[in-house]
Amino acid sequence: MNEIIIAILRSGTPLIYVTLAGVIAQRAGVWNLGLEGLMIIGACATIVGIMLTNSIVAALLIAILMCVAASVLLWFVIDRLKANPIIAGLGLTGLGVGGTALAVQSIFGSQASVTAPFGLPKLGPAFGAYGVLSISVAAMPFVVFGMWVLLRRTRFGLRLAACGEHPFAARSVGANPSRMRLVALAIGGVLCAIGGAELAAGSLQFFAQGMTAGRGFMAFAAVIFGASHPVGATFAALFFAVVGALGIRAQLMFGDKIPHDLLQALPYLATVFGVWLSGKLRGGAKAASSFAELKDQ
Amino acid sequence: MSNASKPALECRDVTVKFGDVTALSDIAVSFVPGQIHAVVGQNGAGKTTFARVAAGLVQPSAGAVYVMGEEIRTGHVDQSRAAGVELVHQSFALPPSFTVAEAMEFGATGKGGIYSRKGLVEKWRAHLASLDVQVDLNRRIRDLPIETQQGIEIARALVMDARVLILDEPTAVLSPSGIDMLFARVRRLKERGVTVILILHKIREVLGIADTVTVLRGGRKVEGPLPIAEVSAERLANLIVGDAIARTLDRHERDALVGTTSPVGEGAGHLEHKTAPSVLTMKAVSTRPDNEGIALDGIDLEIRPGEIVGIAGVEGNGQKTLVRAISALADLANGSIRLAGEDVTGKPLAARRAIGLRIIPFERNVEGLSLTSSLWQNWSARELLQGSLLKLIRPAAVREACDRSLKEWSVSYHNSAQKAGSLSGGNAQKVILAREVDSQARLIIAAQPTRGLDIGATAFVWQALRQARDHGAAILLISSDLDELFDISDRVVVMLSGRVNGEFRAPFDIASVGAAMTDAAARTSA
Repeated sequence: MNEIIIAILRSGTPLIYVTLAGVIAQRAGVWNLGLEGLMIIGACATIVGIMLTNSIVAALLIAILMCVAASVLLWFVIDRLKANPIIAGLGLTGLGVGGTALAVQSIFGSQASVTAPFGLPKLGPAFGAYGVLSISVAAMPFVVFGMWVLLRRTRFGLRLAACGEHPFAARSVGANPSRMRLVALAIGGVLCAIGGAELAAGSLQFFAQGMTAGRGFMAFAAVIFGASHPVGATFAALFFAVVGALGIRAQLMFGDKIPHDLLQALPYLATVFGVWLSGKLRGGAKAASSFAELKDQ
Repeated sequence: MSNASKPALECRDVTVKFGDVTALSDIAVSFVPGQIHAVVGQNGAGKTTFARVAAGLVQPSAGAVYVMGEEIRTGHVDQSRAAGVELVHQSFALPPSFTVAEAMEFGATGKGGIYSRKGLVEKWRAHLASLDVQVDLNRRIRDLPIETQQGIEIARALVMDARVLILDEPTAVLSPSGIDMLFARVRRLKERGVTVILILHKIREVLGIADTVTVLRGGRKVEGPLPIAEVSAERLANLIVGDAIARTLDRHERDALVGTTSPVGEGAGHLEHKTAPSVLTMKAVSTRPDNEGIALDGIDLEIRPGEIVGIAGVEGNGQKTLVRAISALADLANGSIRLAGEDVTGKPLAARRAIGLRIIPFERNVEGLSLTSSLWQNWSARELLQGSLLKLIRPAAVREACDRSLKEWSVSYHNSAQKAGSLSGGNAQKVILAREVDSQARLIIAAQPTRGLDIGATAFVWQALRQARDHGAAILLISSDLDELFDISDRVVVMLSGRVNGEFRAPFDIASVGAAMTDAAARTSA
């Protein structure tokens, strides 16, 4: 049993951090399809950072810096250059996936993957079987709670939601929707950096090209499934992780009797199911309100 | 100097330009504190722009704004709010998913911190009660009736210590009794020492509430603030309309446009063809609930040729669904619809249009026209969509026909290849009229056909509808402006919560129509 829970937490934690980044962007009115790109930038920057500085703290700072910079770039393209947010987000994903591959090759020669000497600090033997988990897994529930408080129990959260839902209302009370989106995307950048770091350096210690493998999009699906609510979306991400872990279990139990590819596709199928279900329950996803804002100005 | 002697709000030579368009030019006006000031003018006179400059939402290109004698930085909402100026928008600006308590909190400033749901309700309950807004603070904005939403919007504007409260056309969405409630509320605010600036466009309302009146026309101040005792309705009407246009309007039209006197409309006094079979017959029509508006609940409606039937009602009581039901855009759960004698209940819009259904839709710029397409494409869309798919189009011939038609409708435009988005509201509406009002039209739905139009264009639309009526078309007019309905309808049907809640014939009595708009008990058939 412990093994399954550990597996779920390991695969679920990176997804949850990135999902929270998607939640805060969504509430501010940005459909952030750049999550995949931000996550892989975070993963790559962490491993490269460890190799270059030999310090996990410095590596994390580098990852955060890179992801925030990429998020600010996304904000600039959407908000200042008035690009379509969906296309701009997909562009950022392309930049992240391609850019990290290029960076690894130019720094370490033509290698498909880089292995670091160490990763994120572990919880340690005091936690028994769970000691193999990294500290960012332990921090995750607190971050989720913190995001819930920030988004659902402060005036900042209300104004952020107003910027996403009714930008003109936000402007009428003196909030600046454009600045709010910048703040939301920057916070999202920090969360994506941690998510990426956990993916590459939590239980593993290496970066491979394209290693996020669609997890950023899965996180985005969790945002929709969870109705942009920080706790709801967290459980949606956890659900995807559970399906993934069960898939691996099934693979071990049934071996060749069930096609390998089908089991690997399970989390993605669950994602499609989740988005379909949330559409059923709520009559379709909410329209991107940032378009309304552009009209208003 | 004490504050009392300084104007509550003063604008000095304020000019606002949007691109090439001058929305306000050299507005100089000052308002005495502690009074109710009306600002009036027709659509496009610059009233909303003026309000937004004062609230800091619009940055003027020249001029200065003073609050209680202190100059404020223009173009910054925070600055205006800190000085005590608050604005309640015409279409309310509260996020629909927020609860009432959240809507209060998000506009507040000062100590914030982390709140609990319960704490928030406690915090704002007294505030709402002091303003006489009766509402459960845990309900969501989108679930509340429009009158309550407005009360909440006013309460939102007063969460800080507002000294100047500006209300932008607050009466446009209200029923007559809702207007009375609003005015009572405004008078109480005046007693509390708040300076209220009401943006209005009905003279009747101005005379009923204001201490002073200021008239804007074409972005300029014509007169004001004049003490209300010194102006007559007659003079105010001429100031608003302007002499040049006043001469082209008949008296009834002018009175309906500016809402002068007691609105006992005489109606059109048209001889109805009582014997002619109805063009539209709806029997017990109910629609399936969808996310696009309130469902119809057993609507019976009949319109005969040569008759204008007006639909009155507070917005959101099923008027849009009615239009969708007649145009086959809403699923019926029950009942039948006949057009010109033919049962069209299950038939698509194209079949109904072939019978002679014509639609002037609610949203001119979204449903009515493709703004990025040319005039001739917009003009010919109805006929082309009705024709066979394989029919060849000769653009030159279509453009020629389009030119002829648009000239007939006196649209001012450069050439028929220009984009529809480049036209003014009045000219855009004329293009829609040119397309929809043809000799084969049997039933014309005119949904808010004059919303946002200036006086000249409004009168033009009314004349066009009357002419179509005189040629034997049946007209269904939906409007939230009772003066408009009373002026040109032969019969007025009131909708409330998706039902017909009363039917009236000329002469119309505003009190009984108003009662039917809000009170289910007042179900009458006069």
